[in-house]
Amino acid sequence: MRLPVHPSCAVSIAVAAIVCATPAFAQTPSAGPRPATPAAATSTEPVAARLGRVQADLYGRAEHLEADVQELKAILGIDPNLAEAHMLLGLAYRGLGKPELVGESKAELQEALDLKPDLIPARFFLAEVYLGLGRYENVRDEMQTALQQAPGQPQFLAVLGEAERHLGNPTRSAELNRQALARDPTFSRARYYLALAQLDLGERDQAIANLEQVTAAHVPEPDVYLSLGNAYLDASRAADATTALEHAVTMAPTRADAHIALARAYRTRGLLTKATEQLTLAKPAGDAVQPTEGYQQVEADLNVEWGRLRLRQGQLVAARTAFQKAIDIAPDNGAAHQGLAMIYLRQRDYAHADAEATRAAALGAPLSAADRQTLDAGLHRPAAGSAK
Amino acid sequence: MTGRLSLVLVAAVLAPVALAGQRRGAAPASAPVFTDVTKAAGITFVHQSGATPDKYMYETFGSGVAWFDYDNDGYQDLYFVNGAAGAPNALYHNNHDGTFTDVTAKAGVAGIAGSAASKAYKTGVAVGDYDNDGFLDLYVTAFGANLLYHNNGNGTFTDVTAKAGVAGSATEWSTSAGFFDYDGDGDLDLYVDNYINFRRTDNPYCGFQKPGYRMYCSPTMFDGTADRLFRNNGNGTFTDVSRAAGIANPSGKGLGVVFCDVDADGRPDIYVANDQVRNFLYHNNGNGTFRDIAYGAGVGFDADGKPQAGMGVDCGDIDGDLKPDLFVTNFEDELDTLYKNQGGGLFADVSSTIGLRSSYLPLGFGTKLFDYDNDGDLDIYATNGHVVDNVALYRPSSSYDQKDLLYENIGGRFRDVSAQSGPAFQVKRVGRGLAVADFDNDGDLDVVISSVGRPPALLRNDAPPRHWLTLALHGTTSNRFGLGALVTVEAGGHRQAAEVTNVASYLSSNDIRLHIGLGAATSASRITIRWPSGKTQTLTNVAANQILNVKEP
Repeated sequence: MRLPVHPSCAVSIAVAAIVCATPAFAQTPSAGPRPATPAAATSTEPVAARLGRVQADLYGRAEHLEADVQELKAILGIDPNLAEAHMLLGLAYRGLGKPELVGESKAELQEALDLKPDLIPARFFLAEVYLGLGRYENVRDEMQTALQQAPGQPQFLAVLGEAERHLGNPTRSAELNRQALARDPTFSRARYYLALAQLDLGERDQAIANLEQVTAAHVPEPDVYLSLGNAYLDASRAADATTALEHAVTMAPTRADAHIALARAYRTRGLLTKATEQLTLAKPAGDAVQPTEGYQQVEADLNVEWGRLRLRQGQLVAARTAFQKAIDIAPDNGAAHQGLAMIYLRQRDYAHADAEATRAAALGAPLSAADRQTLDAGLHRPAAGSAK
Repeated sequence: MTGRLSLVLVAAVLAPVALAGQRRGAAPASAPVFTDVTKAAGITFVHQSGATPDKYMYETFGSGVAWFDYDNDGYQDLYFVNGAAGAPNALYHNNHDGTFTDVTAKAGVAGIAGSAASKAYKTGVAVGDYDNDGFLDLYVTAFGANLLYHNNGNGTFTDVTAKAGVAGSATEWSTSAGFFDYDGDGDLDLYVDNYINFRRTDNPYCGFQKPGYRMYCSPTMFDGTADRLFRNNGNGTFTDVSRAAGIANPSGKGLGVVFCDVDADGRPDIYVANDQVRNFLYHNNGNGTFRDIAYGAGVGFDADGKPQAGMGVDCGDIDGDLKPDLFVTNFEDELDTLYKNQGGGLFADVSSTIGLRSSYLPLGFGTKLFDYDNDGDLDIYATNGHVVDNVALYRPSSSYDQKDLLYENIGGRFRDVSAQSGPAFQVKRVGRGLAVADFDNDGDLDVVISSVGRPPALLRNDAPPRHWLTLALHGTTSNRFGLGALVTVEAGGHRQAAEVTNVASYLSSNDIRLHIGLGAATSASRITIRWPSGKTQTLTNVAANQILNVKEP
């Protein structure tokens, strides 16, 4: 789980305030009133003023991203070696949120740093791009360099911490995020990352407490609510989970993972019609298969949840179909194998149930103690003529 | 300085060659334009991709191919780069009768001798006479150390990489490369595209976690690497001036490179096609430095402002306005891009309105602008092939192997004539390198295409005959083969301008001679050559259908 690439400084969790005010950026002119369409600004205007206006938008509400891109390209047409323009262009591309622009965003940020290695915000934004790409060692490299340039900077500590978590070092992640919070106790992003590290460390109650603190700050970040909802579900707090996940879905109505999680919460509470509605909403748009890990994960999760829902409804054939689909997408999906084991268990086909349960356990999804006990009992008293 | 030379003095008119263009009768409209003669020509080379289940990105990269007359016998020989580590490159000698003989062992250009070369995954090839001794030398790029082979002039080559200092980094992934004289000092410098910062030890799993579904990763996962510019010191060595010259942009993911003078200031500029990031146009400042003017010129992105996945590239005047336009092949779901030179340093992406729509679905690689039908304008050939060998699992409408595309230029617009151009265009291949030459000296340009993990295709041009001229330049003050010379040909009331260059396409190198289609004109009333040295030479009333050797005055 990770924060998505954010559209700009402004919508990152409290990122803008410090990074965007670093001394390296102080030389750019202050922002004045901006026209509705920045690209329409007079081309005879000094480049610094034009750049300042774009910067104000990107560091503010980021309402004119397309126009910002056009204006920055025009500026770079005048001066292709303007590091700040490359950095802002990289930021604007990222804000547009289009997958096909991720590489270009990275390229612009790298070019900015090549032209001006001490342009610290560019390093931070580049690290965020790497984070979105799952290139955590690159994040680590960039943030370690940035911290040499700006020791103790909370945002850098937080992003470095998140990279460490992804690199399998949750303890180090928690430590770095605690350092960030020591410098700025209101820094929600560090608290969120700390909570994720705590979840990885098995400290669920502390994680929930931190996530609740972040949501109390009304941070407009669906991932926070998604994480909290999932944590509640794992803690068997289905009602609280429902509330959190409904928030997440409201904030991100196109996020399949949020709908799937909410469906899980509804199912847990026996609200099967609502669960069905959510799973229907979670269906990815279009028929094209995207060859990404994220797509595969969502598709597998969606099918697992459909399987669980159908199992709960007693529709064993439909449930099996759904679990098989999940396995077809991701053969090592433990939850899907667990689901198949449950179906076989219902059918008193203990041998197959045992095989699937063993596979599921090896993949980190063991049967509950009660189901395991039932299975073990069944294995000692095999049912004759079990239906498949 | 202007020189006017008598044809008697400067032209070696090859009588058999002059007649060759008239040898065939007028073909019916439905006759194949290109005929696959690979087997008949004795080409037995098979590319080795070295593909493994680990899906290292370079395995799908393919390798280049070069036409060059290594023994100065007047016929273009053929060099294939092989991919996998330890797989030998191949040099084929042109026997002048439509067949070739493998002379790799004698020539010593297999590219696998030495520990560094034996481990490298070989990619591209560049050709140029870097020491002005009159014999064309070879530069082979790789994911690993690159190689420079000096042509000894006796059918053998010597690896001079270390002495010359052009290996690049042993961890670098070099792609297309080319020789050109950027500083106008009369010797050829070397530009080397570099791709991504890739390590075998950092090979993320991409695609579904399901047997058979692992796929090659997107280059977006990796950082770019800076290209290199090696300045020729004139003594057999080079100096890496990339940084000082201003071409060392680390965000680049260069696959294709071409040199042409986009603003007619007499100096070669550099255009680099990058993969999934914007393209670069380095304007030659004339003082040893370059300035990337892609943003201002409008050649970094497509018409929608999006960066594309540029692969192959070429430069040439497609609309007869005497200004060089730029052409780039791109990924699937992207049009191949034609940037029309509007003058004043501005280009316009006219791809969607000029007849290139059929390029949208294929994934383009090697390409060349050339006048395949000798009607006096530049047509387009593009070879295609996907980069993901199991793409059909994810996108059933796509395929790894794909058909080539041939566009005929009709008054500055293009018509896809692939379906009418013979069986060669019904064959699907995993097209990568592509190079063009008149290998049989019959007055039309032939094509060779490399394919990942497969034999290449040698396609003989059998288009109905029209008139033509081929110019083989011989520099004296300028570099020995006249690379960078601007040639303007006036014939039949029509003017054409073209630069002498063998650098274009993807990983490949073309016939260094300049071929001009003259259509119905039986002679060129005037040929003007602006040599890289600045000298201008004019030839008048030059008969068509000959290979003209022109010496710099």
